[in-house]
Amino acid sequence: MKSRDYDSVCDVDQALVDRLGRFPREPDILVYGVRALIALIIRGWLRLYHRFEIIGHENLRTNRSLVIVANHCSHLDTLCLLAALPLRKLHRTFPAAAADYFFQSVPRTFVAAVVTNALPFARRVRVRRSLSVCSNLLSDPENILIIFPEGTRSETGETREFKSGIGALVAGRDITVLPCYLQGAFRAWPKGRRLPRPRKVRLIVGAPRSYSSRNSNKIDVCAIAAELRHAVKELGEGNGSK
Amino acid sequence: MISPLTALHDPVFRAYLLIVPVSLALGGAILGFLDWGLKKDLGAIWKTYRSWLVMASIGLLFVFAGRIAVIVGVMLLSIFGFKEFARSSGLCRDWWMVGAVYAGIVAVGVASWIPHPSGEEPGGGFYGFFMTVPVFAIALILLIPILRNCARGELQKMSLSIIGFIYIGWMFGHLGFLANATNAYGFLCYIIFATELNDVSAFTFGRLFGRHPLRNKISPNKTWEGTLGALGVSMVLPWLLRFSFPFFGATQLILTGLIVGIGGMLGDLSISVIKRDIGTKDMGAAIPGHGGILDRIDSLIYVAPLFMHMTRYYYPLR
Repeated sequence: MKSRDYDSVCDVDQALVDRLGRFPREPDILVYGVRALIALIIRGWLRLYHRFEIIGHENLRTNRSLVIVANHCSHLDTLCLLAALPLRKLHRTFPAAAADYFFQSVPRTFVAAVVTNALPFARRVRVRRSLSVCSNLLSDPENILIIFPEGTRSETGETREFKSGIGALVAGRDITVLPCYLQGAFRAWPKGRRLPRPRKVRLIVGAPRSYSSRNSNKIDVCAIAAELRHAVKELGEGNGSK
Repeated sequence: MISPLTALHDPVFRAYLLIVPVSLALGGAILGFLDWGLKKDLGAIWKTYRSWLVMASIGLLFVFAGRIAVIVGVMLLSIFGFKEFARSSGLCRDWWMVGAVYAGIVAVGVASWIPHPSGEEPGGGFYGFFMTVPVFAIALILLIPILRNCARGELQKMSLSIIGFIYIGWMFGHLGFLANATNAYGFLCYIIFATELNDVSAFTFGRLFGRHPLRNKISPNKTWEGTLGALGVSMVLPWLLRFSFPFFGATQLILTGLIVGIGGMLGDLSISVIKRDIGTKDMGAAIPGHGGILDRIDSLIYVAPLFMHMTRYYYPLR
């Protein structure tokens, strides 16, 4: 009898926390189960505690790979965007999370990787490599990437300048970009506060865009970032917020 | 039935509450003497020792917390142990099979927990169901390829699932069922303590006197000297800790020693066979300095069911 091969996973000799910190992660039935369960709880909690509301829900219904771009002023933002997507997309949705914040300590790695399925994004060093991980991810249809191009949570609630990396990611590629605006998240859970307050949070989903006809030179990339920022801000202003 | 209320009043549990820390302290003192007194190079042994401290505390805590805690703890160890097995054998890619084995492991836990539905068995635990869980689990595993209408490569997956469930889920599950025994503190504390001591003695004797490899094609580090030394320790231990099972006669004490001494070694080797064939060194990296969960519980998997059935043959368990 010829000997059989065993198709071991590639990270077999790593501890759980190291496996969660790397990307792409091997799919894990237990992690998926826990994530789905927590997602249900978070959805219920957002509805009850934050009276979470979605405007423009129809824009989210697509089976193509998506980049969701939103303003960032609280930890609630990622949770709200995840809650707005259908549950079956949960394990194919990857919020880009700061590697220097979310993947430095064990508890944060657990929360980021298990609950939100985050992609560790190095925002200070080797940004280009993180961007190429993101762009590989988007070559697989049905994957969804959540990006906050401001790079960090805003301390005033005001939408800051977008980093040009978002432009480099979508320029010249047939990828749908969805600008979104989160309203009320800043009042509910601003940076520095330990626990969220029971304030209303609203998610406004804009119309899908594509930048497939644009070049990836520096000028265009910066222009795309500025356009996206304008689109996101407009969504907020159109719905009666400062 | 064991519970947090009875734990501290029970002389056996209180004795182990003393024995375990004292043995760990003794081990630490010896290591410290070797390290600082004789300046020996011990490698990463302190990491291993630190993990022992953590595992011993968690183990005592679970036994203290009572019957359900022990059953749930054993179930979690089975689940994560099987997960390591599935990851290293590649079975984890088939979620149906893995799900069926998890369901089987949960059924083992439930059978250890619920009482007999019509009260024909005394105490907690449904022994009749516990012993027949493999029938249902294997039926479920065999059903999966039929439901999915595929045959290619399924024999390998089914075989891996069945050995994974029987060995890691069900045989190890006997340790949880022991928590239903009238003398649960004595059985649980003794069997865990003795098996781990057997492992440590095998390692120590092997390091000190090891010359002749035991099974060189399976595990190059195990030697006849280590195994026989550990067997000697395990044969003496039941007499020293006789208070754990005061009703045991000489036959039972000898059998206990043999089960722990030989079974512990066989359990170690049987996981080594699996690792050797797959080609990994450790099953995982869950416990620093030890490897995976399976690398630690391997001897217990072999010892727990043999010990439980030996006891059941001579005395009523509950």
